[in-house]
Amino acid sequence: MEMTATVLNILSSGIFHASILFLVAAGLQLVFGVQKIFNLACGSFYALGAYLGITMVDAFLARGGSPLLCLFPLLIAGLILGVLGPLVERGFLRFVYQRDESFQLLLTFALMLMFEDVIRFFWGTYPRSPKGVYLAFGTIHIGGAAIPVYNLLVIGASLVIASLMGFMLRKTRFGRIIRATASNPEMVQALGVRSSTVFVKVFTLGTVLGTVGGALVVPTTAAVSEMAVHLIVLAFAVVVIGGLGSMKGAFVGALLVGLLKSLSMAIYPELEMMLIYLIVIGVLVFRPQGLVGGQP
Amino acid sequence: MTAVPGRKELVQGASLPRRNWRVAILLGAFLLAGAIWPLVGRDYQVYLTLSFFSYSVALLGLNLLFNYTGLLSFGHALFLGVGGYTAAFLTYKYSLMSMELILAVTLILSGVMALAVGFVCVRYIKIYFAMLTLAFGMLLHSFLMKTYDLTGGDEGMHVLQPKLLGFEFGTMDKMTFFCGPYYYYSLVIFLIALTLMWRIVHSHFGICLQAIRDNPDKAEYLGISIRSYRLRAFVISGCFAGVGGALMAPATGHVDPAFVFWTHSGDMVFMVLLGGFSNFFGPMLGSLVFIFLRDIVASATEYWRFIFGAILAVMVIMAPEGLMGMVMSGWHRLRSLTIKGRSP
Amino acid sequence: MASLEVIDNQGKKPMILEARDIKKYYGGFCALDGVSLQVEEGEFVSIIGPNGAGKTTLINVLTGFLKPDAGWVKFEGRDIAGKSPEELTQLGIARSFQLVHVFPNLTVLQTLQVAVLSRLRRGNKWLSSLDSDKEVLEEALHVAELFGLSPFLSSKSAALPQGAKKLLDVASAFALRPKIILLDEPTSGVSTADKNRIMRTMVEAARQMGIRTILQVEHDMDIVFSFSDRIIAVHQGKIIADGAPKDLERDEDVICTVVGKKECFQTFRAILEARRAKEQ
Repeated sequence: MEMTATVLNILSSGIFHASILFLVAAGLQLVFGVQKIFNLACGSFYALGAYLGITMVDAFLARGGSPLLCLFPLLIAGLILGVLGPLVERGFLRFVYQRDESFQLLLTFALMLMFEDVIRFFWGTYPRSPKGVYLAFGTIHIGGAAIPVYNLLVIGASLVIASLMGFMLRKTRFGRIIRATASNPEMVQALGVRSSTVFVKVFTLGTVLGTVGGALVVPTTAAVSEMAVHLIVLAFAVVVIGGLGSMKGAFVGALLVGLLKSLSMAIYPELEMMLIYLIVIGVLVFRPQGLVGGQP
Repeated sequence: MTAVPGRKELVQGASLPRRNWRVAILLGAFLLAGAIWPLVGRDYQVYLTLSFFSYSVALLGLNLLFNYTGLLSFGHALFLGVGGYTAAFLTYKYSLMSMELILAVTLILSGVMALAVGFVCVRYIKIYFAMLTLAFGMLLHSFLMKTYDLTGGDEGMHVLQPKLLGFEFGTMDKMTFFCGPYYYYSLVIFLIALTLMWRIVHSHFGICLQAIRDNPDKAEYLGISIRSYRLRAFVISGCFAGVGGALMAPATGHVDPAFVFWTHSGDMVFMVLLGGFSNFFGPMLGSLVFIFLRDIVASATEYWRFIFGAILAVMVIMAPEGLMGMVMSGWHRLRSLTIKGRSP
Repeated sequence: MASLEVIDNQGKKPMILEARDIKKYYGGFCALDGVSLQVEEGEFVSIIGPNGAGKTTLINVLTGFLKPDAGWVKFEGRDIAGKSPEELTQLGIARSFQLVHVFPNLTVLQTLQVAVLSRLRRGNKWLSSLDSDKEVLEEALHVAELFGLSPFLSSKSAALPQGAKKLLDVASAFALRPKIILLDEPTSGVSTADKNRIMRTMVEAARQMGIRTILQVEHDMDIVFSFSDRIIAVHQGKIIADGAPKDLERDEDVICTVVGKKECFQTFRAILEARRAKEQ
């Protein structure tokens, strides 16, 4: 019984982390597939989503809102931050599309530095946590394990988002344009679609996925200033496993990394981030070609 | 038919370009300036110059990787940490105060660390390399944060005043020490590092690195083993950065995990880009400007990183060649103007 | 059809490169279907064939770049399939590619210096000045001279005209003084007027540098028939002819297959005769 309980706990938290990671990774893959840029600042978006999420939730609760409805202020926080998408893409990224990869990396790195201070400016350096939201949702008892309901809600939410994304990519005109631009940008331009509009929209979508991911995770862990960099390294591992540019890959990679993360937290909690980094390094070393597609 | 220069002239011309004399004179001037600076400048400014020396040594290493090998490392603060914590351990924990010992141990440890990390990282290029170095840097950061008993955790460790060449300057007050003996010591280390890196970059090894950077496939087909060269460049680069860190630590008297946080690696990359990576002296110009500019900006606001991040972004977009690039193109334009003026 | 059996050499010219029953598949497509050949030391061999015949695949297998799915390739008796480019260079095999490869930021002189110091195994010298290495410098200058690159010595490779880039690419391979050099379409992208000149430069340079054996893939029949000791014709993954130029130029089937049915045999012969008349 002990064993099943532990396994279920690991599974539930693993899939929970996987859901969050998938949201962020999906955003990364979209942007990489279309604009061929790996957006380091996505970690910053994630962190901003987390911090703003806490602020919104605190405000919501202060106005007498029910903790059970906190999912809404969190989602709204994520969506509001979508305004950063056009800002960053039009203001910075569009100038480096044709440049060498190193410069693209440097630019997103610079953005990360800037956002680091933006977060410090608005929220200071101490960890923040929305008060008691997580516990308000309670737990469900399955197989002797106490599985937090919040986890299940988030898993559900990201499954919904995943299917919406899948639908969008396969059935809508915009989705077709995205897939076409990813494989043949010149052709798409020749057909009269302005690539700049596509780029802005895709980047904004990617941004929102990141900020929403950050907002949703925040009831379970505190928002700390290192979140951005911790996340971007993990997210990179996810997209590498899945293969750069592949949506399916983001799904598989997120599942794997999420489970690995919760496994390591269960076995060696003191090592925490160290173990995560070791895993990421391991992934990058042993499987750079990805499991689903893509090339190193 | 244009006259092709004779073999003799070419051999002579290639091995002694006249440009080198101008550079030598310029360097001599800087050397002189560096030597008399403590007598002329204010104590605080001289103290800042120590940072300049340390960062410059570290940046020489970083740029060997970036400009001459084509690999952009986002985790080089790792090696600063190796140097810094070596200084802390030796002086504070083991009461071994010799600066020479600190530097020697740093070289060995950085070398070993670079060998291990590099072995993993140089199999990859571009973003994979960047992320791997970032991950290793943060790995060390998490390690330092967690090992309170060993390394003081997030509080860090003290670094005591070392003995320079066997001399203990205990009677001097701190500022006099750092603006006097330690300054000149750092200057000498800086010059040694400079000369060493110059030789490396202009050596057989150096040109092979540049060939690998430009076209790895062609380099392979000319018989050059890419991984072996990249690994060696990484090790040399790590050693330089380690020495830079070791030089930095006694001046601040303290090291903590923030020393190896990714933003510190970011600062280093920023300095290289600011000064201009494609010129040998560019990174040094970058560190000079960064240090003194940061001092000014940081006294105005604690959010200096935002401003610097913005500057980095602008530079990447508009002036990727950095300050040195702007200086060189201005110089070229000036020369072409004067030449135009001279020709009939 | 020329005989494909092992030619019994009377011990005078050793066989330097030998391939036997090479088969190579790309998925279901058979690129090479049982190719056997040998190259003697001192020969200039040209491989001709229509596009898609498998010429580049053959070169890639012969240079150890690709591992054959069946058969073997031996260089001086040693199996070279799948060896790394550095190992091959050390064994004495060099090659050039169809697409021009240069080091964009290095000058012509520096490029040649790299090749020379690689040959001399001096790449490990990390504290000695390259420019004061007189031996490397002299040799690099010598190679530059042989290839007519002396006017461009201090130009960055990226800034060179296309023809000079091509020459530099080949020159740097030659600077390795390999025992055998394989050239993949050495005159591609060069204007017809320059092709002969470039070929002559290369052959003369090879002679002066002691590079005895050359194997090339070429499309220009003029060049092929003027310079080769031996011609190997490839079609649909098989060798359809292997012999001296004067034997092959009479073989109408082979020529028409290689050149394409549009250019008829008569035109081909007429061109050859016109050239011979010019030379007399």
